Amino acid sequence: MSRIVIVGAGMAAARLADGLAGRPGHTVTVLGDEQHAPYNRILLSAVLEGTHSPDSLRLPMRDVDLRVGARAVEIHRAEQEVELADRSRVPYDVLVLATGSIPTLPPIRGIVRIDGRLDGRVHAFRSLDDCLRLDAAARHARSAVVVGGGLLGLQVARALSVRGLATEMVEGGDHVLRSQVDAKAGAMLARDLKRLGTAVYTGARATRLTDAGLVLDNGFTLDSDLVVLTAGGRPSTALARRADLEVRRGVVVDHLLRTSDPRIHAIGDCAQHGSQVTGFVPPAWEQAALLARHLNGEDVRYDGARTVARLRATDLDVAVLGDPERTDGEVVEMSNPVTGSHRKLVVRDGVIVAATLVGDLSRIGLITQHYDRGTVLGRHEAGALLMAERTVAPVVLPDDAEVCACAGVSAGRIRACASLDEARDTTRATTGCGGCLSAVRELVKEGAPV
Amino acid sequence: MTTTHCPYCSLQCGMVLEGRRTLEVQPWAEFPVNEGALCRKGWTATGLRGHRERLTTPLVRDRATGELRAAGWDEALDLVAGRLRALQAEHGKDAVGVFGGGGLTNEKAYSLGKLARVALGTSQIDYNGRWCMSSAASAGNQAFGIDRGLPFPLADIEHTDVLVLVGSNLAETMPPAARHLDRLRENGGRVVVIDPRRTPTADRADVFLQPVPGTDLPIALGLLHLIDAADAVDEEYVATRTTGWEDVRRTAAAWWPERVERVSGVSAAELRELAELVGDAEKVMVLTARGAEQHAQGTDTVLAWIAVALALGMPGKEHAGYGCLTGQGNGQGGREHGQKADQLPGYRMIDDPAAREHVAGVWGVEPSSLPGKGRSAYELLDALGTDAGPKALLVFGSNIVVSAPNATHVAARLASLDLLVVADLVLSETAALADVVLPVTQWAEETGTMTNLEGRVILRQQAAAPPDGVRSDLDVIAGLAARLGHDFATDPEEVFAELGRASAGGKADYSEITYDRIRAEHGVFWGTPRMFADSFAHADGRARFVPVEHRGPAEPVDAAYPLHLTTGRVLAQYQSGAQTRRVRELPDAGPFVELHPMLADRIGAYDGRPVVVSTRRGELKAPARVVDTIRPDTVFVPFHWVGANRLTNDALDPSSRMPEFKVCAAAVTA
Repeated sequence: MSRIVIVGAGMAAARLADGLAGRPGHTVTVLGDEQHAPYNRILLSAVLEGTHSPDSLRLPMRDVDLRVGARAVEIHRAEQEVELADRSRVPYDVLVLATGSIPTLPPIRGIVRIDGRLDGRVHAFRSLDDCLRLDAAARHARSAVVVGGGLLGLQVARALSVRGLATEMVEGGDHVLRSQVDAKAGAMLARDLKRLGTAVYTGARATRLTDAGLVLDNGFTLDSDLVVLTAGGRPSTALARRADLEVRRGVVVDHLLRTSDPRIHAIGDCAQHGSQVTGFVPPAWEQAALLARHLNGEDVRYDGARTVARLRATDLDVAVLGDPERTDGEVVEMSNPVTGSHRKLVVRDGVIVAATLVGDLSRIGLITQHYDRGTVLGRHEAGALLMAERTVAPVVLPDDAEVCACAGVSAGRIRACASLDEARDTTRATTGCGGCLSAVRELVKEGAPV
Repeated sequence: MTTTHCPYCSLQCGMVLEGRRTLEVQPWAEFPVNEGALCRKGWTATGLRGHRERLTTPLVRDRATGELRAAGWDEALDLVAGRLRALQAEHGKDAVGVFGGGGLTNEKAYSLGKLARVALGTSQIDYNGRWCMSSAASAGNQAFGIDRGLPFPLADIEHTDVLVLVGSNLAETMPPAARHLDRLRENGGRVVVIDPRRTPTADRADVFLQPVPGTDLPIALGLLHLIDAADAVDEEYVATRTTGWEDVRRTAAAWWPERVERVSGVSAAELRELAELVGDAEKVMVLTARGAEQHAQGTDTVLAWIAVALALGMPGKEHAGYGCLTGQGNGQGGREHGQKADQLPGYRMIDDPAAREHVAGVWGVEPSSLPGKGRSAYELLDALGTDAGPKALLVFGSNIVVSAPNATHVAARLASLDLLVVADLVLSETAALADVVLPVTQWAEETGTMTNLEGRVILRQQAAAPPDGVRSDLDVIAGLAARLGHDFATDPEEVFAELGRASAGGKADYSEITYDRIRAEHGVFWGTPRMFADSFAHADGRARFVPVEHRGPAEPVDAAYPLHLTTGRVLAQYQSGAQTRRVRELPDAGPFVELHPMLADRIGAYDGRPVVVSTRRGELKAPARVVDTIRPDTVFVPFHWVGANRLTNDALDPSSRMPEFKVCAAAVTA
């Protein structure tokens, strides 16, 4: 019996545990430092917005020894044991680090009080507890400012705005979503946000939180009831560092998601494969599913992830496939400021290698399929994908066009009939599925002498 | 004038046949399922009568020339019985296999099962219904404890609020049924169609979702996710009438809309819209068909959609619930009376001692003499001619080499047999490979019952005399049984009465149904017309939520085969086309390859010009049909002609043993 121990109880951990559930040959222990069983973290903004109930977020946890409130502090590699904050030890045969990332606190004076706690107006947005606390605070607040214009920031801003709070957003870069999209797309999004009632301050840094409000370096002071910090995070690697595993930005893993100690794996936001540290759920789940298959004895190999980042916010349509701003290729672009859409495909050797879709997701189901599968497109296809779908207007039906498929009747035969009854009796048109009834009515009228 | 029913699909439209020598089809307005409406297949159903290709004498393959030659009935049946006996003597009882069909009447299906179990003593019997609705049957049994295509009359569609059709193109496959969609919409209801092709059925829908083939399951999980998130679950129903919700709920928690979008190609916005529609509706009806079911995860897909219906509290509610639109004429009855490898008449399981005892009693044999479970349809064919598999196969009502998946392989297995016997009306592609061909009557020339998609038992009545030299399947089965030392009835009504006794007390109990009642009542439902009002068929009376996960197609697309291939039917043809391709009035332009203009442009294909579709198993050359109604990453080929099933994948569903007809990886070149 192999003992698999997973450090962390976030989404990657839950996915891995689910992939191992019901398989003989091992026991699975999950060590989570939060007090909650694993939940769907990426839907926290949906809870805030009110489209999801907190209870519906809980993820499956079968056949697992789940320990909540169990913070791992040390890995004793020689003894193959994990030490917890309460000094107890958990032995392992296989250890998996799924420690996620740590939100970074922006350098704003005054957000942390002298006692080390956050100012009462200030909220982080990482955990379910954060979310529930903000949710409670939002009930009595009239206004909020969101610090950080990334994916999470946009989602939280929209959620609060949908709930009726006057919402503002502060982004230090020159446009929102700057890690994912270009300035044009960012401008389109900022315009959308303004239209939806959220003021956006780009190129502005919050420097101080005072009694008067959040002071920006452009001279504004935002007098908001709530300040939500969504300024991103960095891989949580302290445990791995202390255990002397190879760490660069994240814990370095190979094609089997092994760290420099082959008994220890790392997946999700804390891991670094090649130069890639992902920070999104889809690749974390891909890694977790693949590691589960590996631990179940299957022959698999991890070759890096194709990421699709999707904004989950009412009335803001954004999808970013891969890294469109840092990927080489030919750019096929379609921008329409009138309708507020900006779409861009980065194509290399006929394959979509990255894309930005803002404001118009009509073809997203097809574009992501092509991207995920590395479909080699034809010369006109990338362009065609960005054109509006055209439906040809109906023309006058030629006499040999089939009108009633059930009885096999052409337009000509129906035009030759004087009435609907005659058409029905002599041709049996309309007597099957009935779908041609209106067409037959029209044709009978056309054929009738004026 | 004779009232009867169409020879084709599971709707079994009522019709009147007039005339004696030449029959003419007339509407039968009083029959409730179709109210006189027919499609062109029905109107032209008499086209096979007197056809020059009708077989009117047994054929036996001449050893010297290798050609089929005419033979007398006694010669043919003696030959078959003798060879079967010799093969069984040498290799054991299971050396003989029997392959039936979902188009056979209840009486024939029953007699065929009895022939296998009693006269031949072989466990090796199955039928092409495995390739029809077996995934829905397996899911229905797991979820409800019973399997009946529709647990309510079809016309109930008209009174629901939201009808969700998953993988059904009923406007083309059973056109008169589409009238109910129009009436539903006139009544203010909404129609949802989920299909990789925008079919004529989708053209009549209010909401149309166009997923990648093989992803109906994650769409169902995504709906469950949103229904739960929005607190639209019928908590009281779930608590009092079901078990297992919590596990399914946790599985669904992992399928948020954007994840479903990435897997299925259906946008998160469209999924949300659908979730709102079904979440707010009073009455929701979910119907699946082959598009959702013919997959290696077909059973799980149906279970996921049943879970949607259960979470909304629909099954058992009036004008709501879940159902399967069966495909073949007697898909329902065909599986209830003993053609299935694991079942005895009355939908009894063959490994249940009480069931064996009851049926053995009716048959006048020892329970211990009945064989056990045999191989499922594809596994049976795959084993033919191998060391452990059957050496002889009797085929009734099936054109295997056209309709089986991975058809080239199946044809090779058939060729490796010592003896292939086929009973058919015409020299079908499968009959052409046989050692002995037995000419049998067709629909208007014989009497028998069918059970339509609603579980309504209907009566097809003889309207004309068969051609000289032709015998009914019941005669042929009894003739073989007699030569093997058993006396079988040949009169349909007598066989039906025996079937009633054999099914008495089973899940599908026909013992109260008679020909007279069927005539008087326009068909008789087995059980009740509307099931589950008070309880489900499990011992505790509750329905089961069964947690399922998405595994994806057995053969994902890759660089060499970058497209999804899916298959289906066209309006003017039926199944392997053995009948409809020979009806002069039905257009038969042969197979075609449906592809999107973007794909056509990519590969340089033009409408009407040939393209070649290839998969790991074979290739097909056919004209391109360039349409904007199909997903650009998918191609479609109808399966009525030889070739389509040389392409399809024989990966099987672990529970229903359904092959994955509806998706495999393909390449297309111009």
